[in-house]
Amino acid sequence: MSLLLNLLKQSKHFWRLAEMRLLFLALLVAVVAVTSVGFFTDRADRAMSAQATQLLGGDMVIVSTRAIDESYLKEAQQRGMRTAEVIGFPSMVSSGEKFQLAQIKAVSKDYPLNGKIETSLESLGAIENTSLDSLKANEVLADGRLFIALDAKVGEQAQLGKSKVTLAKIIRKMPDQGTNAFQFAPKIIIPLSQLAETGLLSEGSRASYSYLFSGDEAQVKSFGKWLKPKLQPQENLRTLDDGLPAVQQALQRGQRFLKMASLLAVILAGAGIALSSYSLTRHEISAVAVLKTMGASRRQILIRYLGALVTVAILAAILGSFIGYFIQSYLAGYLQDFVGQSLPEAGFLPVIIGFATSLIMALGFSAPHLLQLIKTAPIQILQRSNTVAKTSLVFSFFSLAIAVFLLMWLQTSDLKLSAYLLISVSIALGVFWVIALLMIKLVRKMAERWRLPKANRRMALMVVVFGVGLFSLLLLTTLRGDLLNRWQASLPSDAPNHFLINIQPNEVEPLMGLLSAADVNTPIYPMIRGRLIEVNEKSISPDDEAFIKNPRAQRLLTREFNLSSNATMPEGNIIQAGEWFKKEDKNGFSMELGIAENIGVTMGDSLTFDIAGQRITETITSLRTVQWDSMKPNFFVLAAPNAFDDFPKTFITSMHLPENNSGTLTEVLKQFPSVTDIDISAIITQVRELINKAAFAVQAIFLFTLVAGVVVLFSALQSQKALRRKEIAIYKSLGASRSFLRRNLLMEFAMIGALSGFLAGVLALIAANAAAYSLFDLTPEINLTIVVIGTLAGAVLVSAAGYINVRGLLSIAPVSLFR
Amino acid sequence: MIKNSIVIESNNLSKSLAFSNQGTSQDANKSKTDETLQILHQINLQITQGESVAITGTSGSGKTTLLGLLAGLDVPTSGEVTLLDKKLSTLDEDQRAALRLGKVGFVFQSFHLMDNLTALENVMLPLELDVSLNLKNNVIRQRAKDALTQVGLEQRINHLPTQLSGGEQQRVALARAFVLSPTVLFADEPTGNLDSNTGNEIIDLLFTMQQQNNTTLVLVTHDDSLAAKCQTHYRIEAGRLEVNNIDLNSTDFKSTDLNSADLNNKDEGAS
Repeated sequence: MSLLLNLLKQSKHFWRLAEMRLLFLALLVAVVAVTSVGFFTDRADRAMSAQATQLLGGDMVIVSTRAIDESYLKEAQQRGMRTAEVIGFPSMVSSGEKFQLAQIKAVSKDYPLNGKIETSLESLGAIENTSLDSLKANEVLADGRLFIALDAKVGEQAQLGKSKVTLAKIIRKMPDQGTNAFQFAPKIIIPLSQLAETGLLSEGSRASYSYLFSGDEAQVKSFGKWLKPKLQPQENLRTLDDGLPAVQQALQRGQRFLKMASLLAVILAGAGIALSSYSLTRHEISAVAVLKTMGASRRQILIRYLGALVTVAILAAILGSFIGYFIQSYLAGYLQDFVGQSLPEAGFLPVIIGFATSLIMALGFSAPHLLQLIKTAPIQILQRSNTVAKTSLVFSFFSLAIAVFLLMWLQTSDLKLSAYLLISVSIALGVFWVIALLMIKLVRKMAERWRLPKANRRMALMVVVFGVGLFSLLLLTTLRGDLLNRWQASLPSDAPNHFLINIQPNEVEPLMGLLSAADVNTPIYPMIRGRLIEVNEKSISPDDEAFIKNPRAQRLLTREFNLSSNATMPEGNIIQAGEWFKKEDKNGFSMELGIAENIGVTMGDSLTFDIAGQRITETITSLRTVQWDSMKPNFFVLAAPNAFDDFPKTFITSMHLPENNSGTLTEVLKQFPSVTDIDISAIITQVRELINKAAFAVQAIFLFTLVAGVVVLFSALQSQKALRRKEIAIYKSLGASRSFLRRNLLMEFAMIGALSGFLAGVLALIAANAAAYSLFDLTPEINLTIVVIGTLAGAVLVSAAGYINVRGLLSIAPVSLFR
Repeated sequence: MIKNSIVIESNNLSKSLAFSNQGTSQDANKSKTDETLQILHQINLQITQGESVAITGTSGSGKTTLLGLLAGLDVPTSGEVTLLDKKLSTLDEDQRAALRLGKVGFVFQSFHLMDNLTALENVMLPLELDVSLNLKNNVIRQRAKDALTQVGLEQRINHLPTQLSGGEQQRVALARAFVLSPTVLFADEPTGNLDSNTGNEIIDLLFTMQQQNNTTLVLVTHDDSLAAKCQTHYRIEAGRLEVNNIDLNSTDFKSTDLNSADLNNKDEGAS
């Protein structure tokens, strides 16, 4: 207790030093950036899975091709979880003369456990929530598409098996819609209790049986543990992590940006800490020498400064975590509107990361300086010298490198990426240093001609420090602009909101004619469903050892791929390896990069697909990235333009229909009854809203980085202040006027700022394009304005801040030299 | 307390510095010219308990170097210093520090107060550093207050050094040096940064406290009149030590008188 009090007391003493306050501020900024982003992404992640389970209808779903053991339901109920049951199967529905194949979903009364069924009484009418309880006897809910297909209206009757049912309401939105949108006929929801009456389901019928479970996180987790070993081979557990690729990709990109921004804020703050601990060291040398004359041991000195550092780091971590928490709850408030349900509470992990960040930074970035302090010779106090004891450069380098590496690891939880980042940062710093020295040399030559302030090594150091700071800021500014523009552009107001699928080959021409008559022009793609059965002529199965630990690959291999072919590459795809097909090509596959990595295939491998019993084998001739959030038809595997000429296929297209133009759609569905329309306008609205929220979060985190940059600027200036004080006094004693000194200072700062801004601009241009390309799937572009802006902003910022910092020194009396 | 026991002794103490002709980094491949600068030559002296000793000399004569060696702040090139019965050559830096702890005080020309600590906190430092005393916080605080009262600063205990005048800062430094009643006090040009009036006040205070505590005083100065106030006066010329004859006629009579009177009192009390 007394130790704690002592530490606090000492920290109070150190607080009186500007250097320590800057150090604290830098730590605080770092912790706030790390924790707020940590809290936020943590919650956003969990909100995403909440979103996904909403689409799933429950937190956990078992799907089986056979009736499922009821003991699962009982166990879950005993554990206090809510449960529901769904049986789905295809069946014909008729009304008058019209017949339509529909997907029947017989659901128990608690369905859905998460999310809700939204219905309306007219096709575009007011939306209301419907529970199964509210249905009267023999009433069912049906998709709008079914009403069109049957030419029926709400309240009319239809024949479903042996039952006459009333089509009570139009389903506008329901769980389980987004996932299998391409596979299902229009849906009908009937209460499970009415299923027997229809006589549709008998032993051996082809149906999918599902149990839905819902509970709190702990319940779901422990139930999952209980359940997994008991599952039969035909029973699949679904927790929808591949729910909505479009939304997920948008959010992932946002999170990546946030993490990168917070990482840069941390690095910037680290520079601030290194600088302020450097000036703290300079300042404390005589204090340490005095303490040593009084009889303080090296251990006491170490404890004194280490204690102060650790205390300051912990205080910054506590305060920073609080601020971070409040900022993220503000951000999360926005996200909450979007998710439409209370967000999962923030976890505690970001706080731990915040503490670790603060301690690593405080110790790692100031350890070399601390060591210098301890080594200070007491005799210095008599020699009136302020020389810093030498430390080994290797120690300094390793201390910094290890700190930076740990910080990156904490942020990215990716060893390889951290090592990669560390090396790039070191190289960047080296390049900075060398170029800065060269430019200073050049300036020195010019200076003689133009009587500019003398350039020196100190200036080179300042150029590097400010350069790194400006570089981070410029990089983020560029990426932020690109990212926001891209987000906005990826979903323009005319983004497709309807997919037409099941278009028969003979319908392609008349359908396209009808669409273009209605001023809708859009590409149309063949769609062939095939299962991947061989890689390099060796059969492949989801149960292969290579895939046991990769559920995503397993899922991909279990289901059928949508294959397609086209002469031109779909918009938004970017070739990563190989070449796109030429017009006359008949061979080769172009594969999506992510899926290729998942399955473990690459350029030159041959793949064999089973398409309705026919085999097709081709080698991979290119790898692409796909813009999943484009809301256009996207394919994992594309074949050469004419590869599927002889295979059975249907066609798919997407189009944008303004809300008031439902006539075209009605016309299409009337003329081509087998064509299925998928309305994704709801998803588009969701994605658009999400993008707006994420954009806000991006701006907020960007602000932290700015603050961190300002802290660095001031710590760098502060670290030079003592030296400058002496310099100015000498100049004055030699008769320099205030205006001469002012001009000199301003020129020097402007020069430093312009040089560092120029360097930062050039490097940011390179780095932004590299990051845009590799991290954010954005198209690189050369925009030289960033260099111009960097140079100007550097000159203005540094000279303004520099002048403010040393302004007070101008009125210093030369006599201070003699003290 | 044993009178006339030797507190500091030096035997053939020498200090030299190896100089490398420092050029800029570009000149790195030019051959470095190494020179040796002899600062102190074979210094022999003995200082006894309660004695006041002045060391004078011109700038660069080596007087400050001698002070640093005697206090164990620096290591000699050859020879030996015995401080408080310990041969310094047998001790490492931390052991030398431990030897000073609580027994050796310093007063510097430029005061060297911690500028982030108040006057009181500065004076509390030596008491806090000596953990063997095991003092409670309120005791430390009270003793520091008493020390500040003694130097006439009871009204300014919560001021930071920047809020104090030069004379006041040196008073704080005196309080800090004497708060543990040290056996030895080293003073390096204690009046060098003060005007003569303030300087005289500080010197009076210094000698009063020295005599009250029967502290051995080693004072480095270039001011002969100040040196004359000490019992023994050494002069350093080009690194060699010579004893200066004390010329009673040139010293301030009153001050000398006070010194001897105080000394007498002390002797009576001690015997």
